[in-house]
Amino acid sequence: MAYLTQPDYVKYVCSCGQLKPITSLYFCRHCLKIRCGFCICHEVDSHYCANCLENMPSSEARLKKNRCSSCFDCPSCFHTLSTRATLAQPRQPVADAAGGDTKVENKQPKKMYYLSCFNCRWTSRDVGIPDQPVASGGWPERTNPFTTRFNQLLDYYKAIAQQEKQEKLERERKKFAIRGKYLTLTDKTGLTGAMARNIAGLPSSESGSSATIANFTPSQASSEVEELPEDIFTKDVNLKLSTSMAQRLASPAWQPISVSRLHPLAKLLSVKRSQRCRACDHNLTKPEYNPGSIKFKIELLAYYHVPEVKIISFESAKPGAKSALLLKLTNPTGHEMRMQLLRPEDLPPDDKEEPKSLDKSLEKSLNLEKDTSLYQWMQRRPVLSGPCTVNAPSTELTLAQRDDAAEYDDDAHHDAGGIILWRKSNKLALRLEVETSESATPGTEANATLALQYSYRNTVPPAANAQPHRDHTLYTVVTLQLGLVAG
Amino acid sequence: MALYEGIALIQEKQAVVLDLGTDYTKFGFTGEAAPRCIIRSEFWCTSERRYKRVHDYHTAEELYDNLVHMLHLLYFRHVLVNPKERKVVVVESLLTPTLFRETLAKVLFTHYEVSGVMWADSPRLCAITLGTPIALIVSIGAREAEVCAVVHASVVLHAIQSQPIAARAIHDELSRLLDEDNNTELHLPDHIIEDIKVKACFVGPRERALQWLEDKGPTPAKSVQYPLSGRAPITVSGRSRELAAEPLFTRDNELASLPDIVLQCIIQCPIDARRALAENILVTGGTASMLGLKARLAHELRYLVTQPPYSDRLYVREFKFHKSACHDNVCAWTGGALAAAADGGARALPRDVFTRSRRLRDWPCLLDNAPPHPRPRPANL
Repeated sequence: MAYLTQPDYVKYVCSCGQLKPITSLYFCRHCLKIRCGFCICHEVDSHYCANCLENMPSSEARLKKNRCSSCFDCPSCFHTLSTRATLAQPRQPVADAAGGDTKVENKQPKKMYYLSCFNCRWTSRDVGIPDQPVASGGWPERTNPFTTRFNQLLDYYKAIAQQEKQEKLERERKKFAIRGKYLTLTDKTGLTGAMARNIAGLPSSESGSSATIANFTPSQASSEVEELPEDIFTKDVNLKLSTSMAQRLASPAWQPISVSRLHPLAKLLSVKRSQRCRACDHNLTKPEYNPGSIKFKIELLAYYHVPEVKIISFESAKPGAKSALLLKLTNPTGHEMRMQLLRPEDLPPDDKEEPKSLDKSLEKSLNLEKDTSLYQWMQRRPVLSGPCTVNAPSTELTLAQRDDAAEYDDDAHHDAGGIILWRKSNKLALRLEVETSESATPGTEANATLALQYSYRNTVPPAANAQPHRDHTLYTVVTLQLGLVAG
Repeated sequence: MALYEGIALIQEKQAVVLDLGTDYTKFGFTGEAAPRCIIRSEFWCTSERRYKRVHDYHTAEELYDNLVHMLHLLYFRHVLVNPKERKVVVVESLLTPTLFRETLAKVLFTHYEVSGVMWADSPRLCAITLGTPIALIVSIGAREAEVCAVVHASVVLHAIQSQPIAARAIHDELSRLLDEDNNTELHLPDHIIEDIKVKACFVGPRERALQWLEDKGPTPAKSVQYPLSGRAPITVSGRSRELAAEPLFTRDNELASLPDIVLQCIIQCPIDARRALAENILVTGGTASMLGLKARLAHELRYLVTQPPYSDRLYVREFKFHKSACHDNVCAWTGGALAAAADGGARALPRDVFTRSRRLRDWPCLLDNAPPHPRPRPANL
């Protein structure tokens, strides 16, 4: 829970330069780099309704404008509406009721349904929507009042675009049409193509589009504008009868001004997203299709691959003094991990140019679409300067693999001396020294940066032709928030 | 499902239309009469733990981040489509800052990998919803009122008028009037001011506005008690209800009121288009739907045109107004939906062209607005 509610004291530097807590980072096993939500590619995977947890194929969702057909939101407070049932006696003609009692008894009271909001008590009866005989679906749909005019305009502009395209083609053709040596039939008779068509009683060639253009009536301006209603200066205002901006904009096509025009809003669908690494196009997460499931088919979260750093406690930093810092390191992987703490300055420079096989570079040069130089705009330069520096020990630390059974072991091994405070299965605690610079002003944030070098065993089955290269040495940089500099 | 997706691949994917306003963002598909969503132009910023407005930025990088978050919200929460390989129509003002345009282009092309972007200016798109060859677009948005003349599908650039008299001016005036009504400094948040404006305020006619300037004003409209959560209700007097939008019509020596800039725009247009412009006015933008605003503007125009300095320079006496085929606040968006659906996005700037040239065409840029070079003379002549 600490991850959700507390501020992020430890942040990792993503490969794009963003600073994020480990819980919102991903780890691409193919590039062996940390990725975050900012530098990966999101994709819509499947549509579902969050209320009835019903899957909807994407084509159907497109047809239904991404709205669920059976769930509705309250147009007044946006809470989900519930369907309520009532018993309604079918209305009898008066003469019939007087005529014979037996007939009334035959008619069973019918179940009728209406929509009601349990939060604000709005019901579909408030706005005069008749009750429905079926529980779900069948609610009357409104049409956009502007649809007809919009379609007229659309046809008109489509016709114009069509005509433009034809004229362009015509011009192209004329440019290349070479007049032959011989007279054509139309030249001899003085007939043009259009005249011939006219005589033969055929519609002229471009009739389709030109008719639409000719029949179109542009909007007519009038000198009259809607005046203020007469009674506005004398009538009392009832704030409850006019809608708020949020209520109006919730249905963009109608935008009701008065509360009596509110209409149930069909619930907007939600999507499951899959996420993809931009550099290698492999999936980082892929959710399960079932909307009720919160599991993933693929989840390459940094939390499962990158050693986790947690602050146990720290002495407050004083300018020019040394203070103690207790850290806990965890190895989340199923393999033993060797680790070393470094200063961020000591990190080896990012060697971009790895030796590549010939066909790989060929493939890259052919693939023009994937121009990676564009991604420079996504790169951020992280702010890593802080008044504190962590004195990194030169010893190499070894962390055992994660073992679920060992979680229940609670005797920690206390190592006497050295920087290791204790060890417990895949975790270990370190006592480190933090130096604060003399020039640090009291009251500012005492941030420290620490680099980690760790061994990582890649479990991805290698491609057939690649040589198995499984153990890697990877680096990551974390920033630690160590409170404020003491006065 | 895969089969349908295949069919969708053969056809051109339906493009999306994006209108990133200062206050509200309109987003939806081309060829549809209304946007799918109109939401506030803000997103939840996790690092700052507050709602952040897209237009609050200091550096290009901050703007880039804002746009990435906003578009993520629009694509994956509201419209639910893959941004990749889909065209976008961006509805923009002609006076959009260059930094904003270019950053938006970078976000769309690199971050969301859209296949093409059609940059369309709002005055021409508004004119498209009318279908008339000549139109005068008066667009009153959140920050600014812009008046543009569209003559045969081109904007008369030197006649563009823009003044900061729009929703913000009304909000400031309304909060000042409310302080007067209640004799305290209320410090109401912006969304409450907006709610009071939307529910209670209207624009009074010209005669009453003149009466208010005298010592003894006209009989005010009924006042109303506006309830506040956790506080005593406040009084919204009839005077505040009526005068909140007065900053739009207040004239001073600068002649910068709304009717003034409309007339100035007409004056600066070619003489043979002026009468047609005055007879084809479209008042649009979110603020235009305020009760009585259009009527007041019409009255003011008809009065002011008989007064100096306009009476001897402008000989149009008739003003006619259009009703557009959509709600006032989505007019430019609807135009975008029409324009892109008609030609199938043929005018869009494709991604590979942008990748090569890395620049956008823009009207103030000499590379785009200067006539092409005259052909150099051959040396032997």
